[in-house]
Amino acid sequence: MAEEHAPQNPAPVAAASAPSAPSAPPAGAPSGPGGPPRFGGPRPQGSRPPGGPKRGKRNFVRKKKVCRFCVDKADFIDYKRAEILAPFIQERGKILPRRMTGTCARHQRWLTVAIKRAQNIALLPFAAEL
Amino acid sequence: MEERQYDLIFILRPDTPEPDIDKVIATIEHAATEKGAKIEKTEKWGRKRMAYRVARLREGFYVYMVIRSSHGEVVKELERRLKVADPVIKYLTVRLDEELKRQEKLKKHRERRAARRPRKTAPAAGTPSAPAGGSEHAAATS
Repeated sequence: MAEEHAPQNPAPVAAASAPSAPSAPPAGAPSGPGGPPRFGGPRPQGSRPPGGPKRGKRNFVRKKKVCRFCVDKADFIDYKRAEILAPFIQERGKILPRRMTGTCARHQRWLTVAIKRAQNIALLPFAAEL
Repeated sequence: MEERQYDLIFILRPDTPEPDIDKVIATIEHAATEKGAKIEKTEKWGRKRMAYRVARLREGFYVYMVIRSSHGEVVKELERRLKVADPVIKYLTVRLDEELKRQEKLKKHRERRAARRPRKTAPAAGTPSAPAGGSEHAAATS
């Protein structure tokens, strides 16, 4: 079994678990490309078959969401208005990533600042209670 | 030094009697004007449920003020007073002038760009940023 791992880097994908292959071919894995070992699960772009979903909610491609703030042409995201900010945090209080909300980078930065301010003033929770 | 604008929010214990609330507000207002600051707005948002417990309380009485000053040290003094005031359980000062400047700049850019292009539809759509109430996001200090 030692010669399996010696010639190449042990692939993080579960392909290396098959001991029957005499010379360890990397292309045995059914999921993902037979290229260099990739870290992490499916990337946000494109829909890979979720052979190894990282964690979290749905991992399939979401339909092209537009940035809500861009649509409204918002110049300022007001930290005082919790009702605007609330949809962007999880129930547990964590801020949702862009790929979940479809927000553009610039507004996500502003949004984060606003959310953190609102959290500091107890308009939004830091962490949900049990 | 150019004038700065600050948002100041503080929260008092919900069981504070009304005159005490006003006393705290008055203290802050005095302290600010003494240092040459202008109070643009004072709003009492009243009792609100807080997102987490502060000082073992679940509700608080929110007060919101907008202050303009050309002295930065005003903020320090106000916060000091808020810290020692007993009914005050939380406060937050936010400096807003840069933010508002940026907002103005963006608005102008957008208006200029919209005006430059001759639009097929009525060009009145080129000024969406006018504070026409409905847009929830564009309000700075509402």
